Amino acid sequence: MNPIRRLFDSQRRHFSRGGRFETLYFVYENIESVFFAPADVTTTSPQVRDRLDVKRFMFLVIVALLPHYAFGIFNVGYQSHRASGLPPDFWPVVGVGLKAVVPMVIVTYAVGYFWEALFATVRKHEISEGLFVSCALFPLTLPPTQPLWQVALGISFGIVIGKEIFGGTGRNFLNPALTGRAFLYFAYPAQTSGDTVWTLLAAGRTAPVDAFTGATPLAIAQAAETGTVPQAWADAGYSLAELFFGLYPDSIGASCTLLCITGALFLMVVGVADFRIILGGILGFCATATFLNLLAGPGSAPYLFLNPAHHLLVGGAAFGIAYMATDPVSAPGMPGARWVYGFMIAALTVLMRVFNPAFPEGIGLAILFMNCFAPLLDEIQVRIRLKKRVPNVR
Amino acid sequence: MQRRAFGEAPRILRQTTMGVIHLKKGYDLRLAGRPGPDLEELPRPPRVAAVAERLGFVKPRLAAKVGERVSIGSLLFTDKRRPELQFRSPGGGTVCAVNFGPRRRLQEVVIELDPEERHEPFERIAAAELESIDRKRLIECIIAGGLWALIRELPFRDAARPGTVPPVLYVGLDNLEPFHPLPEVYLAGRRSLMEFGLRVLARIAGAPPVVTACRADAADAGTVNGLASHTVRGNYPAHDPGVLLYRTKTTPEQNHAWFIAGQDVLLIAELLQTGRYPIERVVSLGGPAAANPRHLRTRIGAPLAALAGGRALGGGIRWVTGGVLTGAAASRESFLGLFEKSLVLLPEGREPGSFLGWMLPGAAAPSYSRTFLSALRRPAERAMDCSRHGGLRACIQCNFCPQVCPVDILPQLTYKAILAGEVEEALAHGLLDCVECGLCSLVCPSKIELLQTLSEARARFYEEMG
Repeated sequence: MNPIRRLFDSQRRHFSRGGRFETLYFVYENIESVFFAPADVTTTSPQVRDRLDVKRFMFLVIVALLPHYAFGIFNVGYQSHRASGLPPDFWPVVGVGLKAVVPMVIVTYAVGYFWEALFATVRKHEISEGLFVSCALFPLTLPPTQPLWQVALGISFGIVIGKEIFGGTGRNFLNPALTGRAFLYFAYPAQTSGDTVWTLLAAGRTAPVDAFTGATPLAIAQAAETGTVPQAWADAGYSLAELFFGLYPDSIGASCTLLCITGALFLMVVGVADFRIILGGILGFCATATFLNLLAGPGSAPYLFLNPAHHLLVGGAAFGIAYMATDPVSAPGMPGARWVYGFMIAALTVLMRVFNPAFPEGIGLAILFMNCFAPLLDEIQVRIRLKKRVPNVR
Repeated sequence: MQRRAFGEAPRILRQTTMGVIHLKKGYDLRLAGRPGPDLEELPRPPRVAAVAERLGFVKPRLAAKVGERVSIGSLLFTDKRRPELQFRSPGGGTVCAVNFGPRRRLQEVVIELDPEERHEPFERIAAAELESIDRKRLIECIIAGGLWALIRELPFRDAARPGTVPPVLYVGLDNLEPFHPLPEVYLAGRRSLMEFGLRVLARIAGAPPVVTACRADAADAGTVNGLASHTVRGNYPAHDPGVLLYRTKTTPEQNHAWFIAGQDVLLIAELLQTGRYPIERVVSLGGPAAANPRHLRTRIGAPLAALAGGRALGGGIRWVTGGVLTGAAASRESFLGLFEKSLVLLPEGREPGSFLGWMLPGAAAPSYSRTFLSALRRPAERAMDCSRHGGLRACIQCNFCPQVCPVDILPQLTYKAILAGEVEEALAHGLLDCVECGLCSLVCPSKIELLQTLSEARARFYEEMG
């Protein structure tokens, strides 16, 4: 027999009713169910059930996010080496990235799991795997320089206020990871915005080397006053290919558009992310940016002329659409409402980017804003749908 | 009167072209262990029973006692709510046991069979009489013969109210739920009996019944051809009369359609033609844990153990009567109920899942979703067990249940409305259209008991309506 199986079998009695750690049963159950699916059988019709459970459903999102971590670890180190004037050798770069990212992930999971376990134990329900996705998403959206205590505070806010006070996974109306991210953005702007936070400095430096601009492409786009935005990016040293691959100072893992595309495709193929939200989002970017292009006249800011594809290349737009907007719990449930929801997120993002100088990136707030409207969108479509039914009772 | 006018012809089906209806939703389970078309004659069992469990709303009132001599067709119990629902003896001999379940609810009346069984005589109706006989008298014959419970009424699926005229009467030759007898098997050699039964039903309903078949293009459909007036194509539960009604109805009046299963028509026909209480049944035996799955000719009330014989593969097997999605787990000491035509043997699957099983690619994992490798090459047959395959979680709006629901309910919202006590809202969502097919619970990754919640709410509503 598997030794891990033996361990669980021998320890189970301590956690079941009457055992020494009876109160921690749900923590035990959670840990055991990671290794072995529960042996529960059906007690009512239907007698058979589908093989899919929430654990696998959520696990697939984490699978899609793993490449972002690999990329993020590399990019954090790479930008750090560039800014510090060090040669971009692969292993030192990865070393710097690991040193920055791994502690953040550990802190996020430890703190997030603590809150989830606490609430589950008090409320006597199982620990939902949605937590692991929120904790996987959260560090990817942070600047690599974020102090660990702020990371802990952010995920605490996200899990507790964004989710648990509403009843836990499945009952929250806001995306917990984004809620935590937004909390940090407003509570600690010094550590979450500006040009300096996106790059980790190494080799004892306090300022980047002269050739390095710490500004993110979004900030450059917003600051551009003449010429075109792509020109401004090129002047700052960002080629379109670099933007596509995400090799610029940004949050840890959200900048790589290529991985967002492959991840979104993967999630759509396995049916975990709804294609309606993603396509609605892309449509929204195209429509809104094109609309602004048409609106712009001579003398308008260059940002208004930026084409939709370029919008999707920079910042967290692709990441937000692929992974944050598609969170099925905080998104609307109805198919039509999901199109509108995706579209509106993208439209708001573009408007915020172009017109609001206070927010270089708008996707996070746009998603949270549309999270609030998700129930309304659902309600509208449900009402339309119910009207079509032939009533049963007169 | 309006309903009567509607009953003249199954008008609600005329709008469909060529009598072919397609169900795009639903889901084909493809459970392993599908019974082949061969029919095995089972020997006469030493005892049979009238089963009082698994009868839906029926509240049995015992009408026999231990030691009493009974013939085939003797009254054994009735329904406390509706005295016209009489349940008669499927065997002649001595009542050897009356078993009660929890709260002294009648479970079954067991009869030790005599070598020579006697028959209770019932009124015979000749084919020539059918056109002229009074509808009421015909119904009374069926009631007296103990078979009225076989004709049921939507939307609650209780026995039809004999005082009313249905807008339409559906006869379902096929049942797509794993696993039910194939019409070509149970109709073999009994076609004229079936035709007689359909004429009886036409008199009762005031219009020819809508006879549906699901596999009219099957190779062996010769026996079925000509009987079915409509073909319903699609996944499970395309055969269900509630689905057909939902797809075709235009007004609320049509909701009280009646329906009966194809094989049950034979029982009514036999009762009226021979004047004897019918006891013959063709039962399908299948499932992943059944060796040599096939059709069995046996009799109503036969012990389940006699049906399964030595065909159960290994230990830890669940015996399911009436289909794996809507049927019930039965004790192996139980007997074949009046409605039951199916015995499925499923592995219990009580052992914990394999190590880190949720991470495995799952090339053979039976799943509605596309989250396993099995989505690339859907296996022809899926070996399923009774494991729940996961823990209970809150709804995550994966939207699988509305995708499979054959009557376009939004189960994920309807069940929340029910749990919040919003009956009106649940009704507006189509709670009464629910055909209780069980697909929503089947596909739910959060393992929420949607079917149970919805059907309990339906039953509560029905009982409160009185």
